[in-house]
Amino acid sequence: MTDRIREQISALIDGELPEGEVGLLLRRLERDRQMRGAFGRYVLAGEALRAPGGLLASSGFAARVSAAIDAGGGDAIPSQDTTSPRGARWNRPLLATAVAASAALMAVLLVVRGSHQAEMVAQSTLERARDGFASLPLSQAASPTPAHSQRLAGYLVAHSQFASTIGRRTVWSSVLASDPGIARAAYESLEAP
Amino acid sequence: MRLACAALVGALGLVALPASAADGDDAQQWLERMSDALASRNYTGVFTHSTRYQSETMRIVHRVGKGVTTERLVSLDGSGREIVRTAEEVHVYLPDRRVVLVEPRTDRGVLLETLPEPGPELDALYTLQVSGGQKLLGRDVRIVDVRPRDAFRYGYRLWLDEDSAMPLRTVVVDGAGHPVEVINFTLLELPHHIGARETEPALDSTGYQWVRSAPRPPQRTVSAVVWRPMKLPPGFKLVANRTQVVPGVAFPVQHLIFSDGFASISVFIEPMRPEGSAPPESSSVGSANAYSTQVHGRMVTAVGEVPLATVREVATSVAPTTVTTLVPMMPPAAGPAEPADVAAASQR
Repeated sequence: MTDRIREQISALIDGELPEGEVGLLLRRLERDRQMRGAFGRYVLAGEALRAPGGLLASSGFAARVSAAIDAGGGDAIPSQDTTSPRGARWNRPLLATAVAASAALMAVLLVVRGSHQAEMVAQSTLERARDGFASLPLSQAASPTPAHSQRLAGYLVAHSQFASTIGRRTVWSSVLASDPGIARAAYESLEAP
Repeated sequence: MRLACAALVGALGLVALPASAADGDDAQQWLERMSDALASRNYTGVFTHSTRYQSETMRIVHRVGKGVTTERLVSLDGSGREIVRTAEEVHVYLPDRRVVLVEPRTDRGVLLETLPEPGPELDALYTLQVSGGQKLLGRDVRIVDVRPRDAFRYGYRLWLDEDSAMPLRTVVVDGAGHPVEVINFTLLELPHHIGARETEPALDSTGYQWVRSAPRPPQRTVSAVVWRPMKLPPGFKLVANRTQVVPGVAFPVQHLIFSDGFASISVFIEPMRPEGSAPPESSSVGSANAYSTQVHGRMVTAVGEVPLATVREVATSVAPTTVTTLVPMMPPAAGPAEPADVAAASQR
C-alpha cells in the first residue's frame, strides 16, 4: 500500500479527503482486503486515542489495538479535526459516535504513539464504554455451533424484511458486524415449559 | 414512571421537559419526513455501528430508480461481509463462511414502511418529543425522542438533518435509558444519481454455498388448531403470517410477524429438530434479541428489536389454540416503567 493511499485513508477519517476522491477510495476499500485491514487499524487507533466518554468498544479491544498498532507501525495515526465540512459532503472524524458522541466530538485528540500507551487508553475506553452501554443478562456464555449461528442469521434476515426502516438498518448492521450467536449467545439452563 | 423518564432523559443528556400534544405532532411529522427520505432518496454514506461489545464501520449505498429501491451495505472493517438488497431478493454475503444467504424480498407494498398513525393507540405506547438547537456534521438537526411507556420495547433517539430529515445518528435505548445500539453517520451524501453498479457486491462469490429461502404455498387447513403466542406486549398486532424456508433451517417454518408500529417481533415455529430437544437459548445481536425454546413439541424462536425478556415471554407462551383471545403480558417486575395503559392485545 502506497503512502498516497495511507494519506487518503487518514484524510478520509479526518474528513479532509477531497470530495472527488471519496467515492474512488471507498470502492477500493471495499475490494481490497489489505486496505480494509489498514482502515480498521486506523479506526482502532482512533478508538484507542479517543477522549474520555468515547463510546466504542470491541471484543478483545485492547489486544486488537495493540496488535493493530504493532502491525501498522509505519502508518500515521490519524488526527482529529472538527472544522466545518466542505460542500454538500457532511463528514466528521470517524468513531466520534454513539451516546457519548457529543463528548467525544468536543474532546481533544491525544496523539499518543506507542502500543503501551494506546493499550492503556484503549482499556480504559473499553471499560467506560461498557459502563455506558446497556448490560445484557448473559449467563454461562458458550460457543454455539456454526449451524446455530447460520440459523439465527437466517431468522434475523427473514425478520428484517418486516422491520421498520430503522429497525432493518440496525438488524442488518448487526448481522454484518457480528457472527450472530457466536459472540454473545448465552445458553440458559431453564426447564422447558 | 417519572423516575424512568428522568433516567432516560438523563442518560440521553436532555433537560426533562413535559411532552405536549404539539410536541408529539411535530415529532410525528419529523418521523414521517424521515421515513419518506429514507424510502425515496438516493444516498451513500459511511457510518459506525456500535454496541456494548463491538463497533464496526459500514458503507451504505441506497439507490432509488424507477420506483425500485436497491441497497448495498458492506462492512469496511475487515470481514468484507455485505448485504445487497436487489429488486427481488436480499443477499447476505458471509465471506468468512463462504456462504450467501438469500431471502426473497417481501417488503414492497407491505407494512411497516410507514409509521404508525398518531392517535390514542400510539400515545398509549410511546411518547414523542422533538427538540432542536444542535448541530451534527455541521448540520442543524432536530432530535426526536421516541420513548416507550413500558419495558417491553426500546426507545429511540434520532438526530435528523433539518434540511433532508435524514437520520444522522440513531440511538436505541433500553427502558433504563442505557444505549443498546448506536448508528452514527460520519459521511453522508445525497447524490441525484447513483449508478446501478454501485449496489452490486464487490466480492467474488464463486464457490460460495448459496442458501436460499423460499416461500411455501399455504397449507390446506385440516385442523382448526393454530399456533400462536398466548402473550403479547400491549399494542403488538399480527401483521403477517407465512410459511417459508428460512436460510439455515432445514424445514419449512411458520413465520408470524407482530408489530406495534415501531418495533416488530417475529415468531418462528418449526418442527422439532432432528438433533432432538435442546435447552432454551438466547442471543443478542445489536438491539435485536432472540430466544429459542421447545414448547409443545415445536421449536419456537422469537426475534425482535425488543428486550430479551420480551422475546422470551413471547416465545415461551406459544401454544396450539383455536382461540384468538390473547393475554396481555405483564411488565417485568423490575421494570423501570409502569405498565402501559392499554387494553389487552388482540390479533387482527
